[in-house]
Amino acid sequence: MAYIAGVDLGSGGTKTVIIDDQRRILGTGNARSQADFDAVARKSLAEACAAAGIAREQVEYVAATGLGRYSLDDRDIQITELTCAARGAHAFFPEARFVLDMGAQCTRALSLREGGKVKAFRTNEKCAAGSGGFLERVARYLEVPLADLGRVSMQADDPQPISSVCAVLAESEIINHVSEGKTIPNIVRGAHNSLAERSLAQLKLVGVDGPVAFIGGVALQQGMVEACKEKFRQPVLVAQHPLHVVAYGAALLGLTRWQKRAAPAMA
Amino acid sequence: MTVVDDAVQQCRDLLDLLPAEALARAQERHPRVAGFAVFPVYAPVEIIHAAGLMPLGLFGVGNKLEITNADSRFQSFICSIAKSTLELFLRNEMKGFTGAVFSSICDVARNLASVAGRNAPGMYLEYLHLPQSSPTEACREFTRSEFRRFRDNLGARTGRPITDDAVARSLGLYNRVRALTRQLYQERRHRPGVLSAAELFTVAQACTRLMPEDAIPLLEDLAASLPMRKPVSRDCVRVVIEGSFCEQPPIELIEAIEAAGCHVVDDDLVVGWRLFRHDVPAGPDPVAALADAYVADSCYTSVRFNAAQPRTTGLLRRAKDAGADAVVFAAAKFCEPALLDYVLFRKALDEQGVPHLKIEFEEKMWTFDRLRTEVETFTESMLFE
Repeated sequence: MAYIAGVDLGSGGTKTVIIDDQRRILGTGNARSQADFDAVARKSLAEACAAAGIAREQVEYVAATGLGRYSLDDRDIQITELTCAARGAHAFFPEARFVLDMGAQCTRALSLREGGKVKAFRTNEKCAAGSGGFLERVARYLEVPLADLGRVSMQADDPQPISSVCAVLAESEIINHVSEGKTIPNIVRGAHNSLAERSLAQLKLVGVDGPVAFIGGVALQQGMVEACKEKFRQPVLVAQHPLHVVAYGAALLGLTRWQKRAAPAMA
Repeated sequence: MTVVDDAVQQCRDLLDLLPAEALARAQERHPRVAGFAVFPVYAPVEIIHAAGLMPLGLFGVGNKLEITNADSRFQSFICSIAKSTLELFLRNEMKGFTGAVFSSICDVARNLASVAGRNAPGMYLEYLHLPQSSPTEACREFTRSEFRRFRDNLGARTGRPITDDAVARSLGLYNRVRALTRQLYQERRHRPGVLSAAELFTVAQACTRLMPEDAIPLLEDLAASLPMRKPVSRDCVRVVIEGSFCEQPPIELIEAIEAAGCHVVDDDLVVGWRLFRHDVPAGPDPVAALADAYVADSCYTSVRFNAAQPRTTGLLRRAKDAGADAVVFAAAKFCEPALLDYVLFRKALDEQGVPHLKIEFEEKMWTFDRLRTEVETFTESMLFE
């Protein structure tokens, strides 16, 4: 039995998935990213190993991805998050030809070829306005725990428009809505709608015309998923653990490489 | 810090200096030695060393000097190394140098020699007409006469005729430097993680700023220490870097290529200083031996032509010998010999099914993220297709 780890060193969190050579997920880890990416990744990897019931030394191959992928000294390979997102999403939803990966600082829209390979992509890396960072600010302004944001959004009955494309300027709009007495659920849903619209613009650039696999930490928010369904007018598919899909993709790609390397020895 | 880390750091420190500062550093060990700058690709450094001078590679200035004067002499579509080299002369930053040697590698270098000469009164600026064409008897004779002319001019300039014995001694030293460099390249090829391409590039380039007497112990220490070094084990694509035979890329560019998942198993970086495939036997006429080696025993570059052994064949053989999976063609912006050759290389590589990627660089380049992503995408297309 071989164990492969995929480690996704994102700007918000560092996620790890341990799989076996049958592609089964055995354990996951998650640690909040900090300046020392290597230390955080080790912590996340250790957590995943513990969940899988194995020792770190038993992991045959470590594939790192995410913006901090070069910081993990103990890696066998680094892979772009685009390739990993595509492969991970395809593993969960083979029917999906489009992927929306929304993390803390970056949102990526991808279209896929056969086998979960990247065909085209668009990304918004330079600004947090179209990503989870925006929602973190919204949660802070409205004093709602981030984990509750998705549930609160589902209580909306009159979503308020938030039109600004800038997270900083959007703050003014939110303050206006608060001062006008709009309810918190309606403001939160407005933020989710705003993000969904921006994501749709990215998806259109990659030619969306079918089911979309929604992955990344933001996909944990029920209200955001509903907003996407309304705006995209396409089926939106969400895995049970959307936060770990990219790390899972890294692990699958790592397994591919491990098998290729091990093949001569096994022959 | 290990012996290897320490040696590489010393080399990095040396490369951070302007040529005159590097010369001053050498003068701490070799008092009063004057410098003689060598513009790439190749010059017979043995003759310069035999004249009692220090040959010092002139590979531009990177980000160490702002280009303010040279832009007024050269058009915007001229390569960085030509501009920064001229800037050194215009700003009188070549203190301690007796002169410099240029050769017939391209139109820019040809004009650079004369423009620099006009702006550096009192310096001895030599221009070597190195044969471009295939090795023939006439070519051999011509090269011998050029090298002898250079020897005689240099001897006249310093007031000390350069003897065959002195050239033979220098040839022995540089043979040793080249042999040790070849050894390091071999070691890296067989154990790619043991010495990174960026480290080897740093060392090879720094050796052009050292007297051979100082380069030899440094290289010997490195060679002796490598077996003890634990290789960094990464899953990578083995690549050859081609196209950087004259202007050298920033070290960070090589680091970015490696970080993106490439083991660089061979390259043509600083190739002029390690041009010969074998040691050159001095024989009774060491200057003639050097000329003959240039004609018959030098590796291919884009500034020479050999109909019997096309450069495309040379690149394919280099890739095959190194066990490379792909070629990264890294050319300086506006480098005509490199970019013209790319057309031929691309065709040959495509015909042989060797994946390749072309990137361009310049001295003042300071951000490498986009390039790294480009290389990473290239490697992933090979690893996961």
